[in-house]
Amino acid sequence: MTSFFGRLKSGTGPTSPASSAPPTKKDPNAPQLTPLEKLLADAGPTRGDGSDKFFGFENFGSTCYCNSIVQCLYYSVPFREQVINFPSRSPPEALERPTSGTLPRLNTDLQPTANGQNSALSPKGRVSMSSPSTASPRKPVTTPGGSLAPQPPKPEDNKDSPEYKKKQALAAGPVLNMDYENSNAYGMSESLFSALKDIFEAVIAHRSHMGVVSPHKFLEILRRENEMFRTPMHQDAHEFLNLLLNQVVENVEQFSKSRVKEVGDSDAEGLTVDSGAVVPDRNSTNVNNTGWVHELFEGTLTSETRCLTCENVSQRDEAFLDLSVDLEQHSSVTSCLRKFSEEEMLCERNKFHCDNCGGLQEAEKRMKIKRLPKILALHLKRFKYTEDLQRLQKLFHRVVYPYYLRLFNTTDDAEDPDRLYELYAVVVHIGGGPYHGHYISIIKTQDRGWLLFDDEMVEPVDKAYVRRFFGGLNELACAYVLFYQETTEEAMQRELEAEGLAAEKQVTEVSTEPISVTTPKANGHTNGHPLMHATTPTVEKDEQFASLNHAATAPAIPTTEHNALDHITTSIPILGSRKSNLASKKEKSEKAKEEKERKAQEKELEKQAKQKRKEVEMQRRENYRKQEEELRLALEASRTTANEESKRRKETGGGAELEKETEKPNGLGSIGSKSGLSRFRHTSMSLKHKPKFWPGHKDKHEESEHDAPSTPSADTDTSSTPFATPDRGEKEKKHRFSLGRKKSTFHL
Amino acid sequence: MFVLPPPPRYPTGYPGAPGAGQLIETNNTLTHPTGPEYQLVVGEGTYVLKDDLHLATPPPHPSEAPVHNPNPLATAISPPSAGTKLSIVILAPRLPSYSRLYRLDTSASTRSQVPPSIQESPHETNSQTSDSGSHSANGITPTPREGAAPAFGAENPSLAVLNSKDSKDPLKKRKPKSNIVKSNSSFVSRVIPHEGLSKRLQEHSPNGLFAFANVNRALQWLDLSSPTKEEHLTKILFTKAHALCHDVNQLTKGPNHIDIIMGFSTGDIIWYEPMSQKYARLNKNGAINGSAVTDIRWLPNSENLFLAAHTDGSLIVYDKEKEDAPFVAEDHASNGETPPEKKASLAVKKSVNSRNQKANPVSYWKVSNSKINAFAFSPNCRHIAVVSEDGSFRIIDFLKEELLHQFMSYYGGMICVCWSPDGRYIVTGGQDDLVSIWSLEDSMLVARCQGHNSWVTAVQFDPWRCDERNYRIGSVGEDCRLLLWDFSVGMLHRPRAASVRQRNSITSGTIKMQRSRTDGSTTRLRSNSNLTSGSLLDEEEIVHPVEPRARTAMLPPVMAKSVDEHPLCWLGFEEDCIITSCNNGECKIFFLAGASSFWQWGCGSDDKLILAAKLGRRNSRLMWYQIRWPLLSR
Repeated sequence: MTSFFGRLKSGTGPTSPASSAPPTKKDPNAPQLTPLEKLLADAGPTRGDGSDKFFGFENFGSTCYCNSIVQCLYYSVPFREQVINFPSRSPPEALERPTSGTLPRLNTDLQPTANGQNSALSPKGRVSMSSPSTASPRKPVTTPGGSLAPQPPKPEDNKDSPEYKKKQALAAGPVLNMDYENSNAYGMSESLFSALKDIFEAVIAHRSHMGVVSPHKFLEILRRENEMFRTPMHQDAHEFLNLLLNQVVENVEQFSKSRVKEVGDSDAEGLTVDSGAVVPDRNSTNVNNTGWVHELFEGTLTSETRCLTCENVSQRDEAFLDLSVDLEQHSSVTSCLRKFSEEEMLCERNKFHCDNCGGLQEAEKRMKIKRLPKILALHLKRFKYTEDLQRLQKLFHRVVYPYYLRLFNTTDDAEDPDRLYELYAVVVHIGGGPYHGHYISIIKTQDRGWLLFDDEMVEPVDKAYVRRFFGGLNELACAYVLFYQETTEEAMQRELEAEGLAAEKQVTEVSTEPISVTTPKANGHTNGHPLMHATTPTVEKDEQFASLNHAATAPAIPTTEHNALDHITTSIPILGSRKSNLASKKEKSEKAKEEKERKAQEKELEKQAKQKRKEVEMQRRENYRKQEEELRLALEASRTTANEESKRRKETGGGAELEKETEKPNGLGSIGSKSGLSRFRHTSMSLKHKPKFWPGHKDKHEESEHDAPSTPSADTDTSSTPFATPDRGEKEKKHRFSLGRKKSTFHL
Repeated sequence: MFVLPPPPRYPTGYPGAPGAGQLIETNNTLTHPTGPEYQLVVGEGTYVLKDDLHLATPPPHPSEAPVHNPNPLATAISPPSAGTKLSIVILAPRLPSYSRLYRLDTSASTRSQVPPSIQESPHETNSQTSDSGSHSANGITPTPREGAAPAFGAENPSLAVLNSKDSKDPLKKRKPKSNIVKSNSSFVSRVIPHEGLSKRLQEHSPNGLFAFANVNRALQWLDLSSPTKEEHLTKILFTKAHALCHDVNQLTKGPNHIDIIMGFSTGDIIWYEPMSQKYARLNKNGAINGSAVTDIRWLPNSENLFLAAHTDGSLIVYDKEKEDAPFVAEDHASNGETPPEKKASLAVKKSVNSRNQKANPVSYWKVSNSKINAFAFSPNCRHIAVVSEDGSFRIIDFLKEELLHQFMSYYGGMICVCWSPDGRYIVTGGQDDLVSIWSLEDSMLVARCQGHNSWVTAVQFDPWRCDERNYRIGSVGEDCRLLLWDFSVGMLHRPRAASVRQRNSITSGTIKMQRSRTDGSTTRLRSNSNLTSGSLLDEEEIVHPVEPRARTAMLPPVMAKSVDEHPLCWLGFEEDCIITSCNNGECKIFFLAGASSFWQWGCGSDDKLILAAKLGRRNSRLMWYQIRWPLLSR
C-alpha cells in the first residue's frame, strides 16, 4: 500500500492537476502531510492495546461535548482497557458487521483507489461503511463550517483553518461509521456502554493509525435515553462525562446482575471479591469485577461537621466520581481544591441539625478527601448562575494548572496523602458563554506526546500548548475539565528526562536542516490517503517533520560543519602553549605534587565533614524511625480500642448506622473486600436514581459565599472523636457522582 | 426556555482581542492612590502605597503583522515573554544591608556560618564600598569574605592574563564599543533618551534609586527617586526580541558608569552602559546557545563575567569583553579526567579551567534538559541555587563546578529562588503554590509556607528585617498578592506531625505510617543500612526525595494582601520600601510610614487580628512582638 503522497512521487498514481508537479511549498494544491501524518510516519504495525490510534470524531452539529469527553476517556488507559475487556474482549471476527459480511476495515483499504483523484479535496471522498439500508442521520460533511453565515472568505478556504482541516480529515478517512451495535455479541443489551465498547473496539481493530469515527449509534442511544441531550443545542461536557460514567456503572452492574442470576448462587460469592488489580488479564473474562469504574474514578470525601454548641463532630463519607471546584480570579487548581475543603459555616437559614444536642445549631463543616481516586477528574465551574442576569454566565477567570499535582485537602487518615498526579487530558471550552461555543480536548498520549483533538481533526501540539488555556481577560478558550491520573515520581523523572532529550534532539535536527526556517508550520493540507503504509516510512517525511514543527522557535544555527572548523582553529593555541611550556614542565610537576598533597588534605577534611553530616543524617533518620515506631504502637493500641468500641456499638446500634460505621476502620488500611463491595453497592444504588436530579436541580444555599476564615495550619483535630454518630440530620442530600459544593446548576 | 441562534463555533473577532491592542506609543503614567486598601499592615509598621507607576507597553514593531481574528486554537508556538522585572541600583557607596543585620551580638552565636561583622576589618570595608550598596533583583549584595571563596576562575592562568589587562587602570571603566542611539543594528529598533537627560542625571542624588525595567519589547531606565519618575531617562525598543531578564553590576557602578546586561528571548545578550549610551551584543543570533535567556546575573565580585541561564537547561558564563565563538563541547578525555557517569551530576561542557579562553563562553554547564527558571548566587560567592521547570532545585558549587544537592518541589515546576542574607537558608517558590525554605547546612527542607492562591513567581528576603535568628521573607505570585513571612530558627524543625501526635487520636496518627511509594521514601529508609557502602550513597546524598507533607512544618504568612489586578512577577525590598511589579508593567512602591506606635492593631492575612507591640529599639533595629488571634474562635 502506498500513500497518495507516495504515489505522486512515483508518478504511478492517477493524475490530478496538482500531482503533475513535484510538491513545492508554493503550490497551494500540492498534497502535504498533515502534522499528524508526519508524526506517525515512523509508526509500525498497530498495537493491540489501542495506544497508537488517533481517530477524530465526527461532529453532527454541537456534539463536540461528546467527542471531547469520549476522546479523554479513550486515552485514560485503564478505562480503555476495562471497556474493551469487559465482559470479555471481542475476537476480531466479532467486529464484523452483522449485516454486511465483511470487516469494516477491509472496506476502507479499497477506498483510495476507488476515489482516486478527488479524494484529497472533496468531502465526497469519504468512505461510508454503513450498509445501504441504514439511512445515515448525519448531514453531509459541511458541519464544521455549516453554521457560519456565509462570509466573503469562507473559513474552510483558509488552509490553516480548523474547518478546512476537519473537512480534509473526513475526506481522507477511513471513516468508521459506528451505526451498528455488537451488544448481543457481548451478551449485553444495547446501552451507552456497549456503544462505547463498539467504538473503542472498532478503533483498536482498525488497521490504520488514524481516521475518523462517526459515533451514530452512541449518540442515538444517548439521545434516546436522555431527554436533555436530545436537542441539537450546545451541551455541557462535564454533565455528559458524569452521565456517561454513571451510565457505564449502571450498565455494567445490570449486566453482571443478570449474569449472576443465570449462573446461579455459586458465583455470587465470587462477585463480592473486589479485585484490586486495575489491569486484568487481557483475554480473561472479568465479569466479576464490576466496580472498575469506581476503582478508577471514585474517591471518598469525608464531610466533618462540628456543632458549635456541643463541639460534637459528626462525619459522613460520600463517594465521588469527579470534583467540581469553584473558581476565583487569578488562582490555581491547587488553591481551588483547598478552597473546596475550607471550613464552611452552617448558620442562619442553613443551620445544622445536631443529633447530640438536638435541634438546629450553628456548625462548621468541611469536606476533605479520604480516599484518593486513581483518576482525578476536576471540573472547573466556569458556568455560574448570576442572579441579576437570571442566567448562566461563563467565568473567564485565569486559573493555572500544573502538569503535576498533589492534593492538600486530604484527611489526616487518608491513605497515601502525598499521591502524585499527572495531567493527561484537558477539555477546553471555547466561546463567550455557556449556551454556545465549542469543546476540544488536548490529551497526552502514551508515546506521541500531546495531541489536540478537535472533532474530526487530530493534531500534535507542543507541551507548552497545554498551558494556553488558563483563561483570563480576552481568552475565549479556557480549560473546563482536567484529568489527572496517579503516577509515581520515578515515572515523572523518566518522562521529564525523555522530554528533555527529545527537545534536544529536535534542536539539533533543526540546526542541521537549513530549510526549516522558511517553511511555515503546519499547512493544513492532507493527502489523499491516511497513513496505512505505516511499515514503510520515508526519509524525507521525517526530516520535514522535524523542521516544520519547530520552525517558529529556532533561528538558524550554524551547522555542525562550521563548528568543526572553528574547533580546529581554536584548539591551535593550546598546542602552541604546550610546546613552549615544555621547559618548565619539571617545575610544574613539582608544583603539581604540592598541589596534590594540598588537595589530598582538603579532601580528607571534606571527608570528615561528610562523615559528620552522614552521622547527623543517620541520627535524624534513626529518630524518625523511632518516632514512627512509637506512632505505630500508639496507633495499634488506639485501633484495638476503636475496634472494641465499634463492636460495642454494633451490638447496640442498628441497621444502616451499623453499616456506615463498620466501613470506617476499613478506610484506614487496605480496602477490605467486603466493605469495598458494600461501598460500591451503596453508591451505585444511589446512582440509579441519579437522572432524577438532572433537570432543574438546584441547591439553593450553595450559591452563598462562605466566609469562614482560612486556616493555613489545619491541624486542629476535629476528628478526635472519629466514631461520632453520622449526621443523618444533614438535610441536603447530595448525589454522589459529583460533589461540587456549589454546583453551577447548569441545565438547559 | 429561550433558544439562542447557533453561534459560530470559532467566534470571529471580539472586543479587546489580542492583536487589536493599541498601536501607538503611549507614555508611562504615575498615580498616587490612597486608602486603607493600599496599605500593608505588618508588625514593624504600615507600608503605604505611594507610587503606582504604570509602564506603557510598546506597540508591536511595524514589521510584525498584527493578527486579526486570531484562532484560539492556533498551534503556532509563540516566543517566550516575561513580565516586568526591575533591576535597581543606588550609585552611592553604601554599607550592605546586613552590616546592620549582624550588629546584634554575632560572636555569641554558636553558628559557625555567621560571617564576621564587616566593621571588624577596615581594609575589607574599603574594598566593599565599591561593590556594596543596593542589591539588584536578587536582593542581596554579595560580599567577599576573607578566605571564603576565591574568585571564579582564579586558578586558570589563561583567564588571569586577560583579567590583568583590565586592572591596569582600575579607575577607568571599560565601556562597550557601539553607540546604541546611532546604531543601525536590526536588533535595536529605536532609542528614546529623555530630552533633559544630562540635567536629570545631575539632579539625581547618589542615594537615589535608578531602575531598569523590561516591558514587552522595551527596556526603560527610570529614576525612582525623582518626582517625575514616570518620565523614563531612556527607553530602548528592540525589534522583535523581548528582554526577559537583566542585572546591574554592583561592583563597577559609579557616578558615570553602570554596567547592565540583558538576556533576550532570542538568546542574544546585550551589555549596555546607559550613561554613555554604549552597548555590545553577545551570543549574537544564538551563536553559542540559541535558546532564550531566562535569567542573567553578574558573577559576584567580577567586573567582566556574568552567568546566563538558558531555556535548554544550560548555565553559561560569558565575558562581557570577549567575542563569540561557535561553541563545541570540550572533550574531557583531553584533560585526563573522565567525569563519573552519575545520573545526578553537572555536565561540564566547558570548564572554567579550560585553557581555551580566547572567546566566549568562559564556561558552559548543562544542568538539566529542562528550562531553568531562575538562579541565585549565595552570599559567600561559592554556590548557585538553580530552579527548573521540571521541579528540580539544585545547589551547585560553581567554583568546583560540582553539583552538591538536588531537591524536588512538592510538585510542579519551580519558578524562583533566593538566598538568605547569611547564606544559611534558601527559599524557593513554584507551581505548588508553596514557598519552601531549605537549609544548606542540614541539606534538607525545613518548612513549607502555604498562603498563596496560585503559583509563586518571586521570593525575596528582606535583608533589613533579618537577623541571625529571625528572617523576613516576601513573596508574590500569580494570585496578584504580596505575602510576608516571618520565620525564626526556633520555630523551625517542628513538623506539623509532631504537634498532631500529641493529641493521640487515631485519625491523625496514621499519616506517618502511610509513607507512600510515590514519595520515594523507600530509598530514604533503605539508605539507613547503606550508609557505609560506596558510591551509591553519594548519589543518594545528592538527590533528595520529596518530603511527605505530614513531616514538614507549615508556616502561615504574617501578611497577605492583593496589591495588583494582574499577576505579579517581581518583588524587591529596599530599606524603607517594598517594590512589586506585575506582568503588564505596573510597578508599585510601598513606603514604610514612620515608626509604628507602641501598640498597633491590624488585620492579618488569615483574617486574624494582630496586636503588635513595639518592644523597643535595639541597635537601631525595631524590636516588636506580635500576638495573633483568629477572629473566629476555632
